[in-house]
Amino acid sequence: MNSDADIVYLDYAATTPVDPRVIEVMTPLFGPGGDFANPSSGHTAGRRAMARVERATGQLAELLGCGERELVWTSGATESDNLAITGAARYRADRGRHLITMPTEHKAVSDVFLRLEKQGFEVSWLYPDAEGVLDPAELEATIRPDTQLVSIMHVNNETGVIQDIEALGAVCRARDVLFHVDAAQSVGKLPLELGSMPIDLLSTTAHKIYGPKGVGALYVADRPGCHVEPLIFGGGQQGGRRPGTLAVPLIAGFGAAANIAMAEMQQNREHLQALNDRLWQGIRDLAGVVRNGGAESTFPGILSVSIEDVEGESLLLALEPLCVATGSACNSKSQEPSPVLRALGRSDLLAQSAVRFSFGRPTTREEVDFAVARYREAVARLRSIATGLVA
Amino acid sequence: MTSDPYSARVRELFACADHAGDLEKPSARVQISEQDVRLALAADIDDDIIVCLRFRAWGCPHLLAAAEAFCRAYEGRSARKLLVFGAAEVMQTLPVPREKLGRILVLEDAVRSLGQSVRVSPDPGKDTD
Repeated sequence: MNSDADIVYLDYAATTPVDPRVIEVMTPLFGPGGDFANPSSGHTAGRRAMARVERATGQLAELLGCGERELVWTSGATESDNLAITGAARYRADRGRHLITMPTEHKAVSDVFLRLEKQGFEVSWLYPDAEGVLDPAELEATIRPDTQLVSIMHVNNETGVIQDIEALGAVCRARDVLFHVDAAQSVGKLPLELGSMPIDLLSTTAHKIYGPKGVGALYVADRPGCHVEPLIFGGGQQGGRRPGTLAVPLIAGFGAAANIAMAEMQQNREHLQALNDRLWQGIRDLAGVVRNGGAESTFPGILSVSIEDVEGESLLLALEPLCVATGSACNSKSQEPSPVLRALGRSDLLAQSAVRFSFGRPTTREEVDFAVARYREAVARLRSIATGLVA
Repeated sequence: MTSDPYSARVRELFACADHAGDLEKPSARVQISEQDVRLALAADIDDDIIVCLRFRAWGCPHLLAAAEAFCRAYEGRSARKLLVFGAAEVMQTLPVPREKLGRILVLEDAVRSLGQSVRVSPDPGKDTD
């Protein structure tokens, strides 16, 4: 399913193919004869389309363990992050203008904070330990009386490191600070029960869990003081929090993908763990290879490795036909070392040599074995070409 | 329009870098190390003719391809040609994106330095690092 004749795809953290079962749900919603109508229309066709949206909302709410009224449909995780952070910061700006996040966040989060800094908000950037994990005590020590929002991602998109969002959220809840979680890499892969977790805002997207691109959601907890100011206006849909005609086929696809993810979560996780272990066992004896992020606290769908004395860009080309990433896909054209890996204490050269392998439901042991062989061969070849050179 | 940063020529040179290696007793050898580039060139020269070239490199695919292209193109030519080697030639023929110019200039420096070491060093095999 995931391998054409000329590629081996190991970049499922960037995106996943749409599950055929999801396509089956979506396809009838586009053309005449299907539920293509505007779900805001009051006529029969509109009500049928709205029923599709409501069904999907129920499916996603079940996966997240939250109320249906707590979900806002968006165009994806980037929009969800923007709405959560900017919307919450503006809503609570009269109470204080201090915000907290980490430099290891996805740019969909960190760039929003950089923009808010220019608009007069003060941002504290917390660094993780060498394993990539943030100590809740450090967060607690950073919260001030004027702190209004903390944003920490659940699973890091480059390293797979899992943050203890329960403990971090508890710190925020105790101090009446809103807690936002970018969960683009974890929803549908790790169990979440938002109704009983100290999380106020959570961003997610469909295309990481075999749903379509172009649709995401933001969870906004139904509790006092938790609200987001809208970023766009016009139409009044979704209570005015995110107006605009709802993309019924995409939303229905997200719902179907969420339903499948929930049903198959445990078996998928075991599958990913076996692949992750197999790949790491196959390359860990190479001289100078290091795993980015501790094995204990890392999501098994992602394995990030760096290696000494190998130039990253050449490594990526030598690895073809493997489709892997040097960092986040959004960042892969940059020549700058990843700020995520720099925050883990990696040198510029080691950060630049990082390769992110990420696995999915369709990944096979044979593909992982191919990746092991290809990685070893590429490293050996590039080191051979550079033999004897003094830095 | 393609989003592939590597031309077919660059891909071929990178994949078949047959001139990567060392010479047993080179007439001249130079090495340059900078932050994101390390490059060594070695030449066997006989009566002003470049008989054999080899390179070692640590850098991006464009640098490795450029080094291989240089070696292929300059074997059999006069050693004096090394002194006038220009990065522009490589930039256009591979081609190499403008943001990589600095790395190709390292190759230019190394080639010209190789040419100078051939002229100034009567001692075959002397390392001119």
